[in-house]
Amino acid sequence: MKNIKLVALSGSKRTIVKVDGVKIGEGFTVIAGPCSVESEEQTLETARAVKKAGADMFRGGAFKPRTSPYAFQGLGLKALKILEKAKKETGMPIVTEVLDTRDVSWVCEYADILQIGARNMQNFSLLKEAGKSNKTVLLKRGMHSTIEEWLNCAEYILNEGNPNVILCERGIRTFETYTRNTLDLSAIPAVKELTHLPVIVDPSHAVGKVSLIEPMCLAAVAAGADGLIIEVHRNPTEALSDKEQALNPRQFSDIMKKTRALYKYVTELRG
Amino acid sequence: MELQKMRKKIDLIDYEMLKLLNQRMEYVLRLKKLKSSVTDTDRELEVFQHIRRFSQHLIKPEFSEKIFREIIKESKRLQEQDIKVVGFQGEHGAYSEVAALSYEPALVPIPCVDFVDVFEGVKNNQLDYGIVPVENSLEGAVAQVNDLLIETDLKITGEISIPIHHHLLAIKETDYRDIRVVYSHPQALAQCHGFISRNKLDPRPFYDTAGAAKMLAAKGARSIAAISSALCAELYNLDIIKENIEDHESNKTRFLVLSAEPSKAAGNKCSMIFQTRHEAGALFRVLRIFSDADINLTRIESRPVRKEPGQYAFLLDFLGSDTDAKIRGALEKVKKETAMFKFMGCYKEAVK
Repeated sequence: MKNIKLVALSGSKRTIVKVDGVKIGEGFTVIAGPCSVESEEQTLETARAVKKAGADMFRGGAFKPRTSPYAFQGLGLKALKILEKAKKETGMPIVTEVLDTRDVSWVCEYADILQIGARNMQNFSLLKEAGKSNKTVLLKRGMHSTIEEWLNCAEYILNEGNPNVILCERGIRTFETYTRNTLDLSAIPAVKELTHLPVIVDPSHAVGKVSLIEPMCLAAVAAGADGLIIEVHRNPTEALSDKEQALNPRQFSDIMKKTRALYKYVTELRG
Repeated sequence: MELQKMRKKIDLIDYEMLKLLNQRMEYVLRLKKLKSSVTDTDRELEVFQHIRRFSQHLIKPEFSEKIFREIIKESKRLQEQDIKVVGFQGEHGAYSEVAALSYEPALVPIPCVDFVDVFEGVKNNQLDYGIVPVENSLEGAVAQVNDLLIETDLKITGEISIPIHHHLLAIKETDYRDIRVVYSHPQALAQCHGFISRNKLDPRPFYDTAGAAKMLAAKGARSIAAISSALCAELYNLDIIKENIEDHESNKTRFLVLSAEPSKAAGNKCSMIFQTRHEAGALFRVLRIFSDADINLTRIESRPVRKEPGQYAFLLDFLGSDTDAKIRGALEKVKKETAMFKFMGCYKEAVK
């Protein structure tokens, strides 16, 4: 693959990203939380629930990239303050998406991991700004991007001096309309062949349907992913965004048990 | 829109009027001790003459009188109560005020311009107490205060140590992305250096942290922020954009409470100031007295004596009570060994 220098795998040394005591790339890391931070109460209740179910990190959107400008755009700074509270209470590091270069330094004051979403994967000025920060970047794969394009974007971040990048496969657009996207599971072993960076899977956005999330979580484990990022809401029916794909805490807890058990089995199997 | 704009102006005027009224009440409490009785008819007549003369345009003398009758009534009510006032340096919202309120919430903090005004106010009986910062965990001794302590006849009746947390404040509804410039006391700017440089803000020194917040509220500009206490956000109706922006979490300042009279309550910590004779081993012989008596020193600071170039004064704090025979014995010995000796007071050690 052309021009992939810093992210290319050379030898067998893999990157382990350390975030506040959590190691991504060693063991299996689960990030969970609501699509959007809607209120302090909703966020803290969900944080407590996912922590209890065994999540390692907490996600929550403060700035939302929505298809329609009239849809809920996120609480912004207020949401960041709520996420800070959630971390203080549960101890879980915070993952949140950043949309705007002007927000990068401010989001860094509150969050532990900056997420660059699928729609912004090739926003090169945002990639450079995140590359200059001292925070880990979770880089989602664009919905119509090739693996090569995706890895080039990671290259942008490393090239600015930030070595802490986690890749995230979240489904690509195909002719299929039953599912929201098509989860490209083959991308996981492919990325593992090509780079030293850890890669996780977002089954929620990939399938967009609660019923399909569990099988995709298990498939991600089998495919060799380093972790998952899953949308969980304390009460999905009242979620302001992505309610069709949010798990309730009970469903999440159930999936966690199965996923952890399978990970243990797969690890033994691989030796 | 025009209606809203004008109402905002009216709100601002109301806020200013109340602030001035509060300032008037602070003076009322300060001069309480200087007059013989609460009611002073001559003075009241003088005030009414004054306000009648200054009633102008829309404000008729009869209306002014009505307002001031209420103000004077409230002033007398305040003077009749047993309110203790404590002077602090800075504007309302300063860390010294935060310290005063956490030392004793019943005290009424009165702002003073300079440290020397705090000392003078207590000496002249206008203030019951004064509260002054003596040392900071990052910056060390507060020079001006230590120098004033050397010269003063006031007594130390208490101490308190409070954590200093700096917050980024801006006027309500400010978009944090618009903030370019941040005002505060140089020490606060230095203590938040990391935050300021990470967010590419332009730091501007100001005379006081609370003063910066006050200026912000008065100016109402959207592209500037202040670094001050959480109390300032409350007092000046500002938003806290980011809490705890200091580089080091453990940032503490120790304050001393001053009074004209020594504390009557039992204490477990003492402060003293002395000068030694200019001869070999003089300081050592003083310190040995404490060592021999097994007295634990908590602070020793040396300051040049401003009136006598080349001379140094030592400010010394130690654990123990001045009612304890061991301490009394040691202090007697110290008196004999020193050229100048001043016992500053015995008070309760602050909870760490």
